[in-house]
Amino acid sequence: MSEVSTAGRTGLFRPLSTAGAVATVLGALLPWATFVFNEGPYPAKATLQFFDAPFALSGFRLHLMLFGLAALVVGFTRLPGRGRVLRALGWGVLAVSAVNTVFLISNGGGFGAVSASDGAFAFGCYVGLAGGALLVADNWHASAEPLPRWKFSLPLWAAWLVLLVSFGAVLLLVAATLTAGGLGGAADPYAGPVFLSFLGAAGGLLGGLHGTGLLSWIGELSEKHRLFSVLVLLLCALGLPLTSAGNEYWMTVAANIGVYAATAIGLNIVVGLAGLLDLGYVAFMGIGAFVAANLSGAAASALGIHVPFLLAAVIAAVIAGIFGVIVGSPTLRVRGDYLAIVTLAFGEIFRRAAQNNIGGLTGGANAIPNIPQVELFGLEFNNPVTIGGLQLPGGVLYYFLIVLLVALTMVAFGNLKNSRIGRAWIAIREDEDVARAMGIRTGKAKILAFLTGATLAGLAGAVFAHKTATVSYESFQFLESVTLLAAVILGGMGTIPGAVLGAALLFVLPEKLREFSDYRLLLFGLALVLIMRFRPQGLVPDRHRRAELVAEDVELPAAPKEATA
Amino acid sequence: MSDTVQTGKPLLEVRDLCVAYGAIEAVRSVSFTVQAGQIVSLIGSNGAGKTTTLRTISGLLRPRSGQILFEGRPIHTQPAHAILGMGVAHCPEGRRLFPKMTVEENLLLGAYTRKDEGIAEDVERVYDLFPVLGERRGNKAGLFSGGEQQMLAIGRAMMSRPRLLMLDEPSMGLSPIMTQRIFDTIRDLQRLGTTVLLVEQNALAALAQSDYAHVVDLGRTTIEGTGHDLLADQRVRDAYLGEN
Repeated sequence: MSEVSTAGRTGLFRPLSTAGAVATVLGALLPWATFVFNEGPYPAKATLQFFDAPFALSGFRLHLMLFGLAALVVGFTRLPGRGRVLRALGWGVLAVSAVNTVFLISNGGGFGAVSASDGAFAFGCYVGLAGGALLVADNWHASAEPLPRWKFSLPLWAAWLVLLVSFGAVLLLVAATLTAGGLGGAADPYAGPVFLSFLGAAGGLLGGLHGTGLLSWIGELSEKHRLFSVLVLLLCALGLPLTSAGNEYWMTVAANIGVYAATAIGLNIVVGLAGLLDLGYVAFMGIGAFVAANLSGAAASALGIHVPFLLAAVIAAVIAGIFGVIVGSPTLRVRGDYLAIVTLAFGEIFRRAAQNNIGGLTGGANAIPNIPQVELFGLEFNNPVTIGGLQLPGGVLYYFLIVLLVALTMVAFGNLKNSRIGRAWIAIREDEDVARAMGIRTGKAKILAFLTGATLAGLAGAVFAHKTATVSYESFQFLESVTLLAAVILGGMGTIPGAVLGAALLFVLPEKLREFSDYRLLLFGLALVLIMRFRPQGLVPDRHRRAELVAEDVELPAAPKEATA
Repeated sequence: MSDTVQTGKPLLEVRDLCVAYGAIEAVRSVSFTVQAGQIVSLIGSNGAGKTTTLRTISGLLRPRSGQILFEGRPIHTQPAHAILGMGVAHCPEGRRLFPKMTVEENLLLGAYTRKDEGIAEDVERVYDLFPVLGERRGNKAGLFSGGEQQMLAIGRAMMSRPRLLMLDEPSMGLSPIMTQRIFDTIRDLQRLGTTVLLVEQNALAALAQSDYAHVVDLGRTTIEGTGHDLLADQRVRDAYLGEN
């Protein structure tokens, strides 16, 4: 295998890769299913066509066609990082083909759906799988190639333009990912596979771009123009309602993701920075939500008073923070596994207490329904808004509110991480004994971590209460805590984009994969195992962890110095 | 060296210290004093209780009985950060750097208790003392060699501007040349006004550099004397210098 790739690197023509690319193109043109499914053609008739309408390709077959053509072209160029690009494209083709094949077989009642049945033939999936497998196999050792580093510098306006375009592309990709497959459930029975297939294609695309060194370059560029990047990113986030995701449904989904992303960033302080394993973290979000619900003037609330939203949110955050201190106090005495058990117990106590309507504050099994919508500056947050002729969907104000909340938690996290207390937290995570010898008051610092994390979660909970209009103990179960923890670890411990990405993935997947809900946890667990095996540092790793886990990156800090000298 | 005055008010005084981990007494009866400006060693075999003594002085452990006085004030009831604030720095056994942090971040953590303006200046002073650290200040501490890591550990401890620097096994795992380099540095630090309390298994090197030394055996201080005296002491030579 290594001989093949060595030979391929020097020579221009790579027979196996080219064959894979051709197979991918053919696979895209061949029919994929032998009959029309009961729920309607999958997806949108594209699966039944055979060469007769090559320009009418849509959906996953269009993705395959584009990937195949890209691989064909890249295979004949001397593009730096060519092997990496081809391999990423191959993985994308493989993922797209596999998802659709598995779905067609399971939904079509066996291999007849994807082979031959009643005189009809459909071999698209086999050809597609073979194409992807060839591309991956031929470039199996691409990691040995150095990742290309782009070194040219740009004038300011060009750098800004590049960043603007890049973040705009990210926005479109996010919108396309959100809406891929449609609403799901009964409305669209094919939502799950279409979404997963899109995810595979998006992964292949990003992997391919990364292989050229483009993504690292943009990353460095945005590091250099940090403030500008943050502003553009914020603008892009606020621009989501203007894209294809701009209707009430997707605004709600995006707002929910935002709530969990903000909570995950809070958890990232406790787990990612201070290294305190908290298995009951969602309880703090629950406390914030119940406090806000009780102060909202909802008919079912015990207090029956109505406090303005902003004040209620602050009170919710403060009370959640107080509970953070209460739960944090035992951490002075227990470490590691024992701390996990203490926090686990706290989460369960909270849930049971809420379920049994302790103090009449949680509504018990009836929950607290009909929480009024947020009203700020005379705006009712459930209603659509029109800004100068621009019609924005309902729920968009909640989305804006949550974008601001996430931005706020990001700023808090970023500043804390690089502050004195942030250094103390990281020191405690790395070596608690030495942290004490350095004069760090570890007890105080740990409680402060719990306090900060819980406050942010309480704030997110307050928004959550108004957004969903019903607060029930069922929203704050152990599984939610675990999912949040998984979001932090999956995305990359101790980083902001990691927590957001992790939360987005973990809370959008269940939304999209409702028809697989029986297997959801199984798939979820499997995905986590795979990611932890092949990318233990998380999707967006912290620079400390990157150094620890990826040996080949260790020497990198010295390299640019030589290049500039 | 041997004419150093042992009378005056000591910087550190440990009286009849007893420290236990649960039922196991690691330190039974340790007593010694450290005069300001000296290099004082505690030597002894593995498990004698030297490290436990240092950890107790720096407040990481609580004594079962006995007293620790720093400048005449009892510190054995004080928390670790307060003891560090009084001017006692502890450079732990095995260096114990933060390997994933950069050199500079490690040094800044050493100055964690300080809030004055001179921190950046002191970082530069450490780089002057150990140029190899200054050249690679942005690199992860874990990537450095054992000797360089020991330099960083000493530099980190010095960042709190201590009056008493306690070093636990600074020569552990180092080549003879690097050991010599580290001991030269300790001498330099003494010359600049820092008092040093040294714990070493490498008795030969430690005694040669020490103004005064105590032998710790099975949790008790036994023999004491100037470094030269102990080097000449037959019991010490038999037990710790590998002679028979």
